[in-house]
Amino acid sequence: MSGRILVVEDDERIRSSMRLALEGEGYEVRDAASGEEGLDLFAEAPTDVALIDLMLPGMDGFECCRALRRSSAVPIIIVTARSDTHDVVAGLEAGADDYVTKPFVAKELAARIRALLRRARPAEEEPGALTFGDLQLLPEQGVLRRLNGEEVHCTRTEFRLLCELAASPNKVLSREQLLDRVWGYDYFGDGRLVDVHIRRLRTKVEADPAVPQHILTVRGMGYKLVP
Amino acid sequence: MKLGIGARITAVFGLGALVLSVLLGGIAYFTVRHFLLAGRESAAQTQAFSNASLVRTSLEGGDTNYLGLLGQIDAGTGAHSVLYHRSKAYGSSLSVNASSIPPQLRKEVLGGTPATQTYRTAAGTAEIAVGLPVPAVHAAYFEVFDLSDLDHTMNVLGLTLFVAGAVTTLLGVALGRFASRRLLRPLSDVTSAAGAIAGGELDTRLDIEAADPDLVGLTASFNAMVDQLQVRIEREARFNSDVSHELRSPLTTLSAAVGVLETDRDRLPARSQRALQLLSDDLRRFQRMVSDLLEMSRADAGSVDVFLEEVNVSELVQRSVETGIGHMDSRQHAAPDVVVDPEVEQWRVGVDKRRFERVLVNLMENADHYGGGVTTIAVGPGPDPGAASGFAGRLVEVTVDDAGPGIDPAERTKVFERFYRGSASGRRGTGTGTGLGLALVAEHMHVMHGDVRVESSPDGGARFVLSLPVLSNDDKDGVDDTSEQLVAETGVDA
Repeated sequence: MSGRILVVEDDERIRSSMRLALEGEGYEVRDAASGEEGLDLFAEAPTDVALIDLMLPGMDGFECCRALRRSSAVPIIIVTARSDTHDVVAGLEAGADDYVTKPFVAKELAARIRALLRRARPAEEEPGALTFGDLQLLPEQGVLRRLNGEEVHCTRTEFRLLCELAASPNKVLSREQLLDRVWGYDYFGDGRLVDVHIRRLRTKVEADPAVPQHILTVRGMGYKLVP
Repeated sequence: MKLGIGARITAVFGLGALVLSVLLGGIAYFTVRHFLLAGRESAAQTQAFSNASLVRTSLEGGDTNYLGLLGQIDAGTGAHSVLYHRSKAYGSSLSVNASSIPPQLRKEVLGGTPATQTYRTAAGTAEIAVGLPVPAVHAAYFEVFDLSDLDHTMNVLGLTLFVAGAVTTLLGVALGRFASRRLLRPLSDVTSAAGAIAGGELDTRLDIEAADPDLVGLTASFNAMVDQLQVRIEREARFNSDVSHELRSPLTTLSAAVGVLETDRDRLPARSQRALQLLSDDLRRFQRMVSDLLEMSRADAGSVDVFLEEVNVSELVQRSVETGIGHMDSRQHAAPDVVVDPEVEQWRVGVDKRRFERVLVNLMENADHYGGGVTTIAVGPGPDPGAASGFAGRLVEVTVDDAGPGIDPAERTKVFERFYRGSASGRRGTGTGTGLGLALVAEHMHVMHGDVRVESSPDGGARFVLSLPVLSNDDKDGVDDTSEQLVAETGVDA
């Protein structure tokens, strides 16, 4: 599978080894040593997946994520030193789609990228158009819009998550099911990915994200969409 | 029993008030009694003296109507008289006669000396008797005065003083309590501040502005101590984070580079393939050692953020065993069977799934190294506390049995200590090679509000028992819109 990857990493050795590993998997890799340089490279040529280290000199990884998100829905994977800190959640809140923990195994990273690229393409079993509240979801066209025609911008991961929920309205989907279907994770995937993406999605589709009407949490079980 | 400083201050105040009131009350009582008695005595003597002269006048006049005389004297005074004349005694009333006079007094007066005596009769009445010899007519005159009114006054006074003393003592105790509370209040501030600091709120300080002037020194040195502590903890945390970063960077490079080599493995000569195998195996071990050591140092720094997810316990154990077997250092056997008690099939627990998987991997590796491999892994209910409704207080237990010789009861808590190699020293450590395997099991379980212990399996091997609190079971379906509950509970709600 080919794809264009942007690697933003300040450690030169890690950058080189990531380039070797990813090129070995057949990806086209460009790399940047700082957030600023990464944003410049991103603006120059199309990118399919961005890999951003959170600990960067100058503009940090969170800021870099937010800057990318302002202009693009490109899938972002953040690279963090620890999985049990607030960093992961903060990175996801900043707009990242997924994360890997250092030191990562090259195969694992390649698997994460593949899952995101798979999602960036149209899925096979899409639900039909669904209207809930004042929103209309058109999976085939990859569009979420309000009934007045205004389009609601969301990332591909958010859109995929919404489509999975919409494919079976009123039915509870567990975190594990959503992690599997949207991110391609096994049982041991991190449930925080789902939680933070649901939260991001709510800010876009709910009138009051604190009192959701459509994307509901079923405690201890998972989430469900109520049209 | 050792009394607290508060109780001691209260006791000293109470005792002080008691001693003081007894002393003052006693002085007051005896002074008043002395003066009243002296007054009564001199009044009695005066009256007796004038009556005695009356008696003398009568007797000199030859009047021998003693009873008439005495009755005349007694009239209206409340006193009684006894007259001795020519060795015979005459009383002024039937109730008063010679035997009413105390013998000692009688003897003294009949001997020719005037005397006064205060005494208590057999019936308990206080009386004062005055005896005067009247030598001119060979007679002796006695007059007995009733002192029961004085007695009554003294009783009332005594009772009053007793009550006043008791009230004073109680007030002293109350004052003592108040004073000790006031005195100890700054200490309770220090206690709560120290508690907050121990609980991780390192920004807690005592308010030096509000401190008692006498305690400014204590407050300042307490704050200085906490400053020092905070600096050291932060330095340590920074050091850990730096070490973490510094170690992870080269490991990341190594891991990615080895990954590239493994992709091209088939094109390498056989010797290089073997070398690559050694390299990648030991790289994996090294990564685990580093992450175990960092995990421990983070636990020590109290900087573990844990994300607990509510999951079905039997699925968790089955998946953890299946996945974990692939993460073990020694991969010589198939995954052991997991036996699930039907009662717990639907039970749910709050865990960090990846931590739980590492717990099982460490236990399985421990069994491989020391116990001849895992024999059974079972999931069952913990003891039922009975009292509570629902699942409050219920535990689910996951047991991992091995085929080894078991663990000596004396070593059963020590095996969870770091770097503990036990009586089997000389053998290699646990699978991580750091001696941290079981210590991490305990650490992970505590972080997930659970526990681990070791006992004997029915076959004589070691049985490790993991226990976790049960949250609920699967047959429920409620919509709960306190939606970020799980995230918020674990404090990762950014």
